[in-house]
Amino acid sequence: MLDKNLLLDRNKTVMFGIFENPDKFLETVAKVNAKGAKIIDCYSPFPIHGIEKAMGLKRSLLPVGAFICGCIGFSLAISMEYYMMVYDWPMIIGNKPQIGVSWVPVIFELSVLCTAFGIAILFFIRNRMIHGKLPAQRVDLRQTDDRMVIAIATDNDIVNKGELSGMLYNGGAVEVKERTNHGYEDFEDVVIGQANKVEA
Amino acid sequence: MIHDSIIRPQLVTGDKTLHDVTTEICRPIENKPTTSWKVGFTLAAIFLGILALTLTITMLFGIGTWGLNKTVQWGWDITNFVFWVGIGHAGTLISAILLLFRQKWRMSINRSAEAMTIFAVMCAAIFPLFHMGRLWVGMYWALPLPNAFGSLWLNFHSPLLWDVFAISTYFSVSLVFWYLGLIPDIATVRDRATTAGRKFWYNFFSMGWTGSVRTWNRYEVVSLVLAGISTPLVLSVHTIVSMDFATSVVPGWHTTIFPPYFVAGAIFSGFGMVLTLLVIARKVMNYQDFITIGHLEAMCKVVMLTGTMVGLAYITEFFVAAYSGVEYEQYAFINRATGPYWWAYWSMMTCNLIAPQVFWFKWARTTPWFIFMLSIVVNVGMWFERFVIIVTSLHREYLPSGWVMYSPTIVEIGIFLGTFGLFFTCFFLFSKFLPVINMSEVKSILKNRE
Repeated sequence: MLDKNLLLDRNKTVMFGIFENPDKFLETVAKVNAKGAKIIDCYSPFPIHGIEKAMGLKRSLLPVGAFICGCIGFSLAISMEYYMMVYDWPMIIGNKPQIGVSWVPVIFELSVLCTAFGIAILFFIRNRMIHGKLPAQRVDLRQTDDRMVIAIATDNDIVNKGELSGMLYNGGAVEVKERTNHGYEDFEDVVIGQANKVEA
Repeated sequence: MIHDSIIRPQLVTGDKTLHDVTTEICRPIENKPTTSWKVGFTLAAIFLGILALTLTITMLFGIGTWGLNKTVQWGWDITNFVFWVGIGHAGTLISAILLLFRQKWRMSINRSAEAMTIFAVMCAAIFPLFHMGRLWVGMYWALPLPNAFGSLWLNFHSPLLWDVFAISTYFSVSLVFWYLGLIPDIATVRDRATTAGRKFWYNFFSMGWTGSVRTWNRYEVVSLVLAGISTPLVLSVHTIVSMDFATSVVPGWHTTIFPPYFVAGAIFSGFGMVLTLLVIARKVMNYQDFITIGHLEAMCKVVMLTGTMVGLAYITEFFVAAYSGVEYEQYAFINRATGPYWWAYWSMMTCNLIAPQVFWFKWARTTPWFIFMLSIVVNVGMWFERFVIIVTSLHREYLPSGWVMYSPTIVEIGIFLGTFGLFFTCFFLFSKFLPVINMSEVKSILKNRE
């Protein structure tokens, strides 16, 4: 997904706009998206509400995965209880029915457990997150601190580069740069301009 | 975009920028430990040593080293178990229920409260595990493992077994929730790291987090789902703990009011402990701008509400016993209030029902030293509540020939004090190596973002 476009594909060019104000950032992202430019991704140190709509992202299907995991937990609990209490070694305790409401707590707990672990694992898989992974696609070290970054593919003719960088500046970017990828982690950054030095 | 009301007070004071938040919250991680941290950590470690010693004695000589007897089969062990599990309720309540209610004040306190949850549940687990005696054998009664002991497999009718599933699920889910919330902040620390060790470890645990909006989008969805399932989970855990008692036929335990009463008590004691920790932490770590008086006040209101609910439950229990016409039930409650353990009962009533009523006054809710004192009172009161429920109900059973008194041995006292050592050792380590306040969430509620 992300790495491919940004880093792995050779000779791809990407323009980055770096912002320090989240409100201006959100407005600019919406404008760039409305213009039809291909936004690869955006980066921010905190969740900015509404940006997914501004970027045109679809709703995540993770809750569906969570529901399926919950159903697995539910079935697992019932099967386990039936197998242990009724099938493998039938146990009648206190003359209570073998199958009854006393099964509910364990069924509930296992459903919750499977849902929680399921959605967490699916989240890591979907984002390709794994322990120790090097965050190669960091554009700015401060993108986890106080800066927001928009990454736009510029190896196409959808939007004029000059117009795009102008749009980013006018939107409040403190820095705009273009990256050309030569290979994995082999790239060249050209700073188009920094705040107060607009050259576009 | 910020849509907060302009007339509401700011949740984070001091006109902080995004970078200020990062710098101030990362300070304890990036700087050398302070003297107060070292002193506190050493003290906690000493108590942890006491825990190791007393548990070793228990393992070597058996449960006979405890003050339990044939009548009072649950004493300090289960009292302490329920005490710690109760404390462990505030974290997930703050993160999950307050998230669903969109209470933004939770953002400065949820991280430390969740950590507290995890450490408290660890402390709680020690008691039933070691009460099983030879716990390596006891595991066969608690976990679905194939075995050749007694009746095969597990008894799913037993609330004690439900408890095993409830508490282990609660611990695991809280851990997942906590860790997911930590990942963006660990990435922030990683990107500021200057030493090789810090770079390696924070990189290891940040799982390649870059702050991508696509990831944030999914992260928000996952948080919401986890909050949604954690909310009934929090309620279920103490409900099930209460069923350990309520499904028995012991007068004083056999009451249907127990589940809501225990849940309210758990929230009450959990918030009590959160206040104890945070009133100190905000001062020592200089986080007054993040954990403001407004935060403390909100928590005091929760304490007052849940304390009153618990008090109502105490009175309702008395009424139900009187109304039931069952003389054993009536005696159990009269004995609680006027019997040999009257002091425990009235300590409970004073600390849990009467003391929190001072929070009706604004001064009491907004004065940190007073809140701290009251939070200790709440902790003590909730410990007494569990002691009263367990020991006073057991020590006089149906036949007077079985009536005994119970007092803990030095080993039991040592284990209880030792669990405070475990709890605080974990908390000190947490405050040194991880961001105590959720930076990414706090950044999203700053009004001054320029």
